[in-house]
Amino acid sequence: MSIALEWKKTKRTGFFLTFVAGGLLAGAVPILNMMVREKCYVGRKEPAVDIILNANWQLMAMLTILLLLVGACMLYHTEYADNAIQRMRTMPKRECGLFYSKCGLLLFMSIFLVFLQALAIYFCMVHWFAYTAEQISVLIYNFSYTFILLLPSVFGFLLIASVCNNMWIPLGIGVVCIFTATMLPTNNRWLSLFPFALPFQTYVGKDWNTIRMDLLAAVVESMLACIAEGIILKGRRALA
Amino acid sequence: MNIIETKNLTKSYGNFTAVSGVNLHIPRGTVYGFLGPNGAGKSTTMKMFLGLTKPTEGTFSIDNKRYPEDRVEILKEVGSFIEAPAFYGNLSGEENLEIIRKILGLPKASVKEALELVGLTEHRKRLAKKYSLGMKQRLGLASALIGRPPILILDEPTNGLDPVGIHEIRTLIRSLPQKFNCTVFVSSHLLSEIELMADNIGILNHGHLIFEGTLPMLKRNASLQGFPTENLEETFLAMIDEDNRQRSGKR
Amino acid sequence: MSLKSLIGIEYTKIRRSKIGVILLLATCILWIPSIVNADLNFTMQAEGITPENNFFIQGFMAMSWFMFPATMLVSTVLINQTERKNSGMLKMLSMPISIWRLCLAKYVVLLTLAALQIMMSVGMYYISAAIASQTQEYNLLLSPLFVCKEAALIWLSAIPMLAIFWLLTICIQTPIVPIGLGFASIVPSVLIINTKFWFAYPMAYPFFFITSEYGKLAKNLTTTQAEPIPWIPTAIFITLVCVLLSCIRFGKYERR
Repeated sequence: MSIALEWKKTKRTGFFLTFVAGGLLAGAVPILNMMVREKCYVGRKEPAVDIILNANWQLMAMLTILLLLVGACMLYHTEYADNAIQRMRTMPKRECGLFYSKCGLLLFMSIFLVFLQALAIYFCMVHWFAYTAEQISVLIYNFSYTFILLLPSVFGFLLIASVCNNMWIPLGIGVVCIFTATMLPTNNRWLSLFPFALPFQTYVGKDWNTIRMDLLAAVVESMLACIAEGIILKGRRALA
Repeated sequence: MNIIETKNLTKSYGNFTAVSGVNLHIPRGTVYGFLGPNGAGKSTTMKMFLGLTKPTEGTFSIDNKRYPEDRVEILKEVGSFIEAPAFYGNLSGEENLEIIRKILGLPKASVKEALELVGLTEHRKRLAKKYSLGMKQRLGLASALIGRPPILILDEPTNGLDPVGIHEIRTLIRSLPQKFNCTVFVSSHLLSEIELMADNIGILNHGHLIFEGTLPMLKRNASLQGFPTENLEETFLAMIDEDNRQRSGKR
Repeated sequence: MSLKSLIGIEYTKIRRSKIGVILLLATCILWIPSIVNADLNFTMQAEGITPENNFFIQGFMAMSWFMFPATMLVSTVLINQTERKNSGMLKMLSMPISIWRLCLAKYVVLLTLAALQIMMSVGMYYISAAIASQTQEYNLLLSPLFVCKEAALIWLSAIPMLAIFWLLTICIQTPIVPIGLGFASIVPSVLIINTKFWFAYPMAYPFFFITSEYGKLAKNLTTTQAEPIPWIPTAIFITLVCVLLSCIRFGKYERR
């Protein structure tokens, strides 16, 4: 099963529209904030990227992670709503393939979101600050880092969505997970590695060791989600 | 030569046994009618063949392949239609089949062919959720027939169709072994329907296989046991009734 | 059929939905950090708020800004999905009952789920305040009268927001768009409460209300106070319009 097929299945569900609108909204956050509170930010000593990200990233990350949750729920809702999942299960393919294709599609959408947000930050830098080429590379590093930190959320939300056939249950669990992430103290190193708390981190103002650990945690957590999905599918088949 | 065989196939849910020690023999290139009242275990048996549920005991082989080792290999050869039709409501009939086609790696023309086979060509652009019950049923059938699989497993395929539709689908199923050189395993709770389609019959009641053989054999058996044989529906009812009586006697 | 019996039927429909579990889980997660970090309540001299008031208000602020609106959005989806799945909606529309009443009954169920969530938060507040009082050897419990009054006001302030969520799910057929819009509308409320036009944005009401209460309790803090005019007339107007539109639009798709 391929990403293109998964894309096809989302036709007329508002999936793409939601991601475009959500991405634009998340991108609008720093721009609106700069427009309204220009005086608070312009003229500070820190690099432009640091100022903009520190001022806006929490909200932008929140919107991004909520979009991923809604997207994941929707991808499995189309399977469960009219029992199409049963037809998929009787296809001569591994059921894990369905999960990986959905992960692929959601990852593609996260790249899209990350790109829109990077563009918005770049616009703010150009419009309100004097920036250097070095800062552009920081911006690129930051959003590459962000993308990797989004991986556990993509895999995690899809894992949750694949287990429940009523869409509101994974949605509820997802909301609880995101809420937990917002409640975790940011100064605790281990708690900040909670899968759904990772996307709230920024690259700026961090030492290399911390960054490396965040990236490693993101990859390991994503792999664990994939393994968990495999076990769940096996278990479901065994218990069916 | 049998294409599907089961040995002592059993499925229990807690204390309840849905399918109990069933031994089926489905010859290649025939239509096998699987008959039984509602809740007899027909769908459960079919689900086991498709790997949708695991046998509690016993084994089965499909084209000499075994579950669970050869699950994917089995599914490559099987087109299926189980209980309520399964589809993506937000996609049109054609788009639904397009998805199945791509997964199975079939040529583009197969979608058109499947739509024509079930008479949905006219409605192919309409959203599946807006289909009538009969059209949903036809879409389900098309998704089973697409790519001409060598084995077809159809669970009550005429449910929800009007008399004309029932006749069309029956004729289609009857013609499939010659047309596509395939084996059809079809279930129903109406003997009159199976009579018109099937070469071989298996009758299931309360999870037990109470008869397996050809129609003439069924008639012969029935007359030997003193059941009415003029009307097959009555024969079936009498057999089920007798089986139920024996079962309650045992209890 | 009376509205009361219709509401009863609506409760039956969400039986075994485990929504209570999700609401409870969210409430537990809300109060755990408060217990763990109870000592921080004693370092609020700059704000001029007493530890017991701070313990209470911080928890309710965390609840009002994201958890409460988000779980309410989930509840809206639940109520809507139970009806749409297996064509339950068609069955209801073919019953000899008033469609307006049916729509209102569902909205009332949503309001009671909101009340349930707030009551759970109050309950958990007392449990966690009692635990924290033990660990900090300081009485962090506030009078039930005060706590219940605040809780009731949060619930009241949430009514317009719930009306908007309800309208969104009724007007938009595909479930993803209302959920996406709902979430997208919750997140910026933290920015909106700092603007002059907060009263035109119902998603910010509960958070605005509790933040203004924070200002009242903390002597050295000045937060914008909730002025009844133009807030209350605007809130009533938005609620009435949304409920009216929901009733008009309810079941329109199925009856096409």
